[in-house]
This record gives sequence, structure tokens and C-alpha cells, in this order.
Amino acid sequence: MVESPVKAKNVVPKKFVGISSLIIFSVLLVCWIAGFASRLFAVIRFESIIHEFDPWFNYRATAYMVQHGFYQFLNWFDERAWYPLGRIVGGTVYPGLMITSGGIHWFLHLLNIPVHIRDICVFLAPIFSGLTAISTYLLTKELWSPGAGLFAASFIAIVPGYISRSVAGSYDNEGIAIFALQFTYYLWVKSVKTGSIFWAASAALSYFYMVSAWGGYVFIINLIPLHVFVLLIMNRYSHRLFTSYTTFYILGLIFSMQIPFVGFQPIRTSEHMAASGVFVLLIAVALLKHLQTILTKQEFKKLFILGALAAAGLVFLTVVGLTMAGFIAPWSGRFYSLWDTGYAKIHIPIIASVSEHQPTTWFSFFFDLHILVCTFPVGLWYTIKKINDERVFVVLYAISAVYFAGVMVRLMLTLTPVVCILAGVAFSCLLEVFLKEDQPATAQKEEVETEEPEKEKKLYDKAGKIKPRKHESAKTENKGLGSNIKSMVVIAILMLLMMFAVHCTWVTSNAYSSPSIVLAFYNQGDGTRNILDDFREAYYWLSQNTADDARVMSWWDYGYQIAGMANRTTLVDNNTWNNSHIALVGKAMSSTEDKAYDIMTSLDVDYVLVIFGGVIGYSGDDINKFLWMVRIAEGEHPKDIRESDYFTERGEFRVDSEGAPALLNCLMYKLSYYRFGELKLDYRGPAGFDRTRNAVIGNKDFDLTYLEEAYTSEHWLVRIYRVKKPDEFNRPSLKPTKRALSDYATKKVSKRRKGVIKNRPVVVKGKRSTKAN
Amino acid sequence: MKLISSVIISIILFILIMSNVDCQRKQSSNAGGISLGEKVQQLLDWNAKKSILRLNGHKFKEYVKSSPRNYSVIVMFTALQPARQCVICRPASDEYTILANSYRYSSVYSNKLFFAIIDFDEGSDVFQMLRLNTAPVFMHFPAKGKAKGSDTMDIQRVGISAEAIAKWVQERTDIQIRIFRPPNYSGTVAVIMLISFVGGFLYLKRNNLEFLQNKQLWGLMSLLFVFAMISGQMWNHIRSPPFVHKSQNGGIGYFHGSSQGQLVFETYIVMVLNGLVVIGMILLTESGSQNDARKGKLMAIIGLIFVAVFFSLLLSAFRSKAHGYPYSFLFK
Repeated sequence: MVESPVKAKNVVPKKFVGISSLIIFSVLLVCWIAGFASRLFAVIRFESIIHEFDPWFNYRATAYMVQHGFYQFLNWFDERAWYPLGRIVGGTVYPGLMITSGGIHWFLHLLNIPVHIRDICVFLAPIFSGLTAISTYLLTKELWSPGAGLFAASFIAIVPGYISRSVAGSYDNEGIAIFALQFTYYLWVKSVKTGSIFWAASAALSYFYMVSAWGGYVFIINLIPLHVFVLLIMNRYSHRLFTSYTTFYILGLIFSMQIPFVGFQPIRTSEHMAASGVFVLLIAVALLKHLQTILTKQEFKKLFILGALAAAGLVFLTVVGLTMAGFIAPWSGRFYSLWDTGYAKIHIPIIASVSEHQPTTWFSFFFDLHILVCTFPVGLWYTIKKINDERVFVVLYAISAVYFAGVMVRLMLTLTPVVCILAGVAFSCLLEVFLKEDQPATAQKEEVETEEPEKEKKLYDKAGKIKPRKHESAKTENKGLGSNIKSMVVIAILMLLMMFAVHCTWVTSNAYSSPSIVLAFYNQGDGTRNILDDFREAYYWLSQNTADDARVMSWWDYGYQIAGMANRTTLVDNNTWNNSHIALVGKAMSSTEDKAYDIMTSLDVDYVLVIFGGVIGYSGDDINKFLWMVRIAEGEHPKDIRESDYFTERGEFRVDSEGAPALLNCLMYKLSYYRFGELKLDYRGPAGFDRTRNAVIGNKDFDLTYLEEAYTSEHWLVRIYRVKKPDEFNRPSLKPTKRALSDYATKKVSKRRKGVIKNRPVVVKGKRSTKAN
Repeated sequence: MKLISSVIISIILFILIMSNVDCQRKQSSNAGGISLGEKVQQLLDWNAKKSILRLNGHKFKEYVKSSPRNYSVIVMFTALQPARQCVICRPASDEYTILANSYRYSSVYSNKLFFAIIDFDEGSDVFQMLRLNTAPVFMHFPAKGKAKGSDTMDIQRVGISAEAIAKWVQERTDIQIRIFRPPNYSGTVAVIMLISFVGGFLYLKRNNLEFLQNKQLWGLMSLLFVFAMISGQMWNHIRSPPFVHKSQNGGIGYFHGSSQGQLVFETYIVMVLNGLVVIGMILLTESGSQNDARKGKLMAIIGLIFVAVFFSLLLSAFRSKAHGYPYSFLFK
């Protein structure tokens, strides 16, 4: 039954071969188009814009590379980040993403197609989703059958678990890395099957691309050795395995060390030790197998036991010894937290603070995979029942990936491809039974197949083409199930698959298509849409109204956006490499104004930027993130900051008048709520009512001594303050009513703003202020 | 293992308590206004013998409440007698002992901070005086001034682990105590036991090892693991949610209302539903390879019903958590 499609290909006359490859081609094409189309919600609703946080850095780096060339990019020292430390960008990024889009840009310009680099970046992930679908098809074809492959390809084209990281505009490493992952696995399985050096070397090359693209390559370099190891235990050693693994390992090792960021890690860290251990083991096994052919049975047995013990002891001692001596670094915190699940919560608040690093509920599994989550165990069952060398691989892949996905929501991404493969196998097995009417099942499967990539016209044509074939063969009597039951089952399965397609579209449209830079909300009454563009408004203000070298302090979430959109120097950003620097910013935010001023002057801060959602009820603002700032600050400065000071006696975190005094007087509170006490949001409610936390704020009447309000965006979402210079404290400050603000008023105010700034000689612009002095 | 260690600990504690009672007797002879130096010296003497001072009502007033003091005292109010049926007191007391020992044998040990314990059965008057009606309670009595609200540790929020208490002590007194736990070998022992058990089992059955190649067994094991993961058991393990909770209308709620959380019982339901859908799919697939046509038909019908019904149930469970999710199948 398993081999039937392959057999069918050989058996059927030539014209069917043509048709079946036409079907394969068109299904994959439809997958690509459907996958691409369903990732475009954000572009159609908003505009072609880079999303979220990390993509902004990737975009900035790509733009730099396109402008200055590859070698400049490798040597790029970014003095605009992590002030005053700076960041060596070339050596601390995975350059695969930038090189990919830079290469496409270069190629298109070679053909005289003038595309802006931003558009390439926006559409890179949707385009690569098509390539992912194709490589998933290839992998599944190697593992099971082409029919299952087509299922898997169409699943992965639209499954939300993968769309979540690859919508248009989400320009991140994962977008291309999943393609590289699947393709490497395909080549690896191919090389295990054939035992040819060519395929193994191709796998190593694809692995090289993966290493250059994403830190998740560690998954590959542990899974493939695990596959080899399990095959050895199962006594499935073969020369094919020996050839492919040794070739892959050596080439992959050398290639991976070419990436500057990876460097010598593959031979110096624990994460990579399994691969070399298996390499040694495989050679030892090969040696023993060879000796077995030479020696007599008695001699061999003795040698085997001695040799095995000695080898195991030697490897173990070497690894332990090297780790002790410091040549091999122990597991890094991020990886360690995958095994000891409570580790991050206690020791590394900065990892625990990221919502992607939380464990996964059954809800998220179902949300991201829908029907696939309860059908992929079926595929797993059949692969185990009909196990062979390469199916061992997919079983291990499934089990390890499902474990990692359970520990961390973010790793759902590595689970999704294998779920698609196995669900493809399950549906293929099932429909082979119920669509088989003495006719090879492949052809009909595609018919089902094409139902779920939605609203493509082509598929109806194609289905029509196939039908006649079905009738031709219907004459022969099927001994098993009645045709009624068969059609009932087929219809039910089709309905389930259609529900899957609808679910995917719904989830993509509602959950994964928000750029989170531009917010949208719908009016209760008429359902019209309002766009909140406060972020870009504020970043643009920064870029236009501050000195070129002005340093902006904000929480690390906004570092990449400030650098990318406003092009100003930031203190901390989303590359959280320096915890103590982040803790210093957290300390400034959570101490009182005068203490914070000392920190800010020592860091040369010119502006402070806070995100405040109290006016419109935006829940992701800085006050809601504030406890993480306190926690991270406390980790480094336990003497000065204590988390319990920010809670009330009863252990609550509240901003109203019962809130803890430390909270009501800290810098973050003051910057968020400055002048908010005067604001009445509607006629009935009291002044200073915070819509996000549903409370009237506790500290209304205060003035700022060391900072002054510089800018507040239209919906108060972004507030920017200027840090006064030491000689400015006693100057009479402008009355709040005279300040340059775009209140709820229209853009007319923003024109007047310039006039107001001119009246104040000391403001901002470096040169002018020196003149004034 | 644990039993033996707790027995040993309780014997040691018993001996220590006895010795402490002795020195209490000696003390009580020269009670009455003693100077600060004497008090500190006395406390240090006791501390030399054991890391936690055991106080009663009288001594509490003398060493903790009376005013000339230059040292802080952390007091655990507890009820360790079995008759009091305080379940949490024993583990809390163990953690507290770990903390006090870590402090006693660390480099920060000084005469500025002392750890003490008051059992309800020895100092019920203190409980009345401080109006305590729960146990255990951790309180800090600062060297100067009165104890404030935050000088009582919030057990509900921070828990009772030694690290949490140490953190709270550090907040209150600025003395940082590094916790040294007596190494816990129970995990290692369990692993070794398991390995030796499995190894012994395999050795006993060494003539009949075919079951290791039984694909059904391996398949079943991996399916169970997969079901455990996709029903969110790892989340339960890390977050430890309640088994069920009370719903708004007074009954028992088996499902958590929001998509952010889940209850233990809920995950079991989901696990079973997933399993039944999988069984249905397998029945459907196997029905094709049956020789007996009637049996095949029966299997196909049962499989179809399994898949349709249990998947719809799963979908409606999902729907009840995702507010505003528009699609359903068979059931609302």
C-alpha cells in the first residue's frame, strides 16, 4: 500500500505519467500562490511596512549592506546602539537573511528592475513559504509517497503555526530558516537513502545556509546525530549511513565555522558535542564491523566488550575533562532552560520576560495547528509501524519537536513542519483506502488536496480533468467497503479539511496580521476603522527635531524601532546581550526622578521615550511592562531596587491612590502620567482615568524638575521627554498650556509647534545651544 | 529515603530542643532586666549551639520586644505539633532551618541578625499579643523602630522556599544570605534505581528480547508522549494550575475561561479527545485492509463517528475558550 503510488507511476501508461507530474506541478504552484496570498493581509489592510521589533533591525542591517557592500557590513561597528558601548553588528548577526534579500536586490537590479530593498524585505517571507512548501513535498515524498507530499505541502502553505512567523512584513530569520531546515532534512534523508557523497555534501551546503540564517541550526546538528545514534542502536548500521554522516559532519562543521557569529562554537560548546561524539562512535562501529570480518567469533567478542568499554569511557572522560578545563563551554542559559524547565524563571528574568519563552497550552497547539494536531499522531503511528531508516528520522523529529514546542511557545515553529508531514501521511493513508477503486490513489488525492488552498480558480478545472479517470475504472467490483460508506467518509474528511482551510484564514487574518507598529481599532457603532499611527509619528518627530547624535533612552523593546525609524542612538535594544546595561536603564526607570537623573547624566541621555496606553487602552505599554524593569534592575542592583516596594501591602500592583509610594514616585510613573491628571477622557468619568488599568491615577499633581516634556503623540501613545542640562533647572519653564503638543487637535498644531520651539533658545539642536551659551 | 532523613532530623531536633530547655532553665534563674551586652552575648551563646533560637512567650518579650536592642530578629511563628494539623508548617520549618543554617555558617554571620522560632504550643500568649491566627508567619523585628506591615512576609505571594525567605530577609535587613542546601541525591538515586530496574528486567528476559522490537509498543509509547505534550502537560508542570476551579454560578468549572490558562482536568479531557480522534482515524484506515467485509464496514462507520463527534467536541471546547471564534462542527 505504501509503495503503491510509486509503483503506479511505473505501471500506468505514459500519458498518466505526464498527467501526474502536471498535477504535482500545479498543486505545488497553487500551494505557493495560496500561501503567498494568505500572508498579505497586513499589506492590504495597512501598507507595505516592516513589522514589530526585530524585523526593524534586520531591515536596517540589510539596508546598510545594500548601501555599503558586503565587506563593510561584516566589519560594521554600530555606534548608534548600546551607547556608550556600541555593537559589533557584523560579528553578532546571522547574515543569511541580509545576504538573501541583498542578493535578490542585486539580481533584480542586474535585470534593470528597480525594486526598493524594503519591498524585497517585506515580501521575502511569503515567497520563501512557497519554497518551504516545495521542500516539504520533497521530504515527504522521500519518507512516504508523493501523495502524502502534496498533502504536506498544502498544509504547510497555510498552517497558522508557520504563518505566524512569515507574514508579509515580518522580516525575520525564521522566515527563511524553516525553508533551510526542511531542505537540509530532505537532502539528509536523500543521502541516507542513497549513501552518495553528492547528497551528503549538498546537505552540508544547505546546513551552511541554515547556520547563516538562524540560531535554530542547533536543532539540526543535534537531530541528525540523534538519528544516526538511534540507527546504530537499532542495529541498522550501513555503509550508506557511514558515508553520509561522516561527509555531512565534516563539511558541515567546516562550513558552519565560516559564519563569524558562530566561529569556534561548533567545537567548543556543549550544544555541539553530541555531533562529534556520534562521529567518533560511528567510526568506532565501522572499525568493529570491519574487524568482525577479519577475526573469529571468539576473539571478536572479547575485543568488542573491551573496545566498547574503553571507547565509551574515553569519550566520556574527554568531554568531562575538556569541560572542566574550560575548553568546552557548558550549556548556555537559553538552551539549559529547555531541559530544566524551571531554570529561566529563577535565574534569568530577561529570558522569562519574553512572552515567546512561555510554555504552551493545549489551546495554542489547537490554535496553530487545528485538525493537524489530532491527526499527526496517526501519521506517527503508521511511520512507526512501517519503520525504515529514514522514517526513524521523522519519528525522532516529531518527538523532539513536540517536546520543545511544549516547553516554549516560540518553538511551535519547528514543530509545525513535521506535523504537516505526518498529517499528510495520515490523510494520504486514509484516502488511499477510501478513494481507491482499483485506480491508483495518487490522482484522486490531489483532487481533495486542492480543495483547501482557497479560492483558486485553477483547481476546479483540474478536478474536472481527473474525474473521467475515476469513472473509467468504476466498473470493477470492490470487495471491501460499500460505495456509500466510502463517499460518506470522503465527504466528511473533505469537510474537515475545508474547516481547516477556513480556520487557517481566520487565524491569519485575526491573530497574525497586525504590524504592531500601526494599530487599528474598529468603532463600536458603524464598524469603521481608525488607524493609530502614533509610533511612526513619534519616531518621525525624533528624526526631524533632535540633534543627529541625540541619545534616546527607552525600554529595550523599542530600541530597534528607534534606530530603524528615527535613526537615533539608543542605550539598549532588542539584542539583549548586555544584561547589566539593561538593568541600569531599568534602574533609572524605577527610581525617583533625582536618582534617575544621576544615572541619565552618567549615560549622556538626551531624551527619554515612554510608551503610554492609558488614553486609548493599549495594554502593551510601559507601565504594564514595568515590573519586568524592576525585576531585571533588582537582579543587578539588589541594594537599590526591591520588587516588593512596588507592591501594596496586600501584594497588589496598582496605580491608583492606594498604590505603593515607590511606584507613584518613580520616573516611569511620572513620565507616563505627567499632566494626565488634568485630562478628562469623557464627560462623565473623572479626570486622570487610566483606561488600560481601569483606575484613576494616584499621583496627579506633580511637576518634573529634571526633565521636560518634548513631545506627545496624538493619542498619547508615545511620550518623549528632554533631559535638562545641569544649568537649566532654575529657568522658568513654559506653562504646560503653551507647550508644543499635538493634543487631540488636528495637524494644524504641528505646524505651530516649530514656532514654539524657536522661542526657546536652549532646546535641543546642538550647535544652536552652544551659541546661546 | 525521605522518611529516614526526616526521622533523623526530628531526632536531632528533639535532642537540640532538650538541650535548649536546659539552658532555658539556667537562664530563667537570673531573669529580670539584663543589659544589651548581656542579651547579645546570651543570644550568641545560644546560636553557637544551634542556628535557630527557640523562644517562648517570656523570652520573646525579653529578647525581641524589649527596647534596648541593636540586632534584628526574624521570627517564624508556627505550629509543629501534629495535633495542630498544620500541613505547611513542616516544610516551611525545613526551609527556614536551611536558611538559618546557611546564615549561621556563612561569612556574613554576625550579631546583627538572629533567627528564632515560636511554636504555638510554647508561646500561645505571643500569638495572642500579635493577633496571629494563622501559621506559619514570618516576621521581622527590626533593630530600631516598630515592625511595619512589610515586616511580615507575604507567604501567599513569595512562597516558603528558603530562597524566597532569604530574598525577603535581604530586603528587610540588607544581609544577603546565600542558600546552601544539603545536596539532594533523591533525583540521582531515582535515576539509578530506574536504570538498574530496567537493566535487571532486560537481563532477566535476556532470552526473549523480541518485545523490544515490537512496533506497537514503541508506537504506543510515542503516541502517549505526543498526547501529553499537545494537551499541555508541560504547561501544567511548569505553572502548576489547580485541578478544577469554582465557576461563577457556584458549580465546578472544568474549563478555564480564557485562552491564556488551563486547568489540569481540562487537559485530561483534551488528551482523551485527541486520543479518540486518533483512534477513529486509525480505525478508518485499517478498515480498508480487513478481509471480512462486514467487519471493515463496521470499523469504517465507528471510525467515522469517532472522528466527527470527538473532533467537534474538541472544536467546541476550543470555541468556548476563544471568544469570538466563529466556526463550529456538529455541536455549538
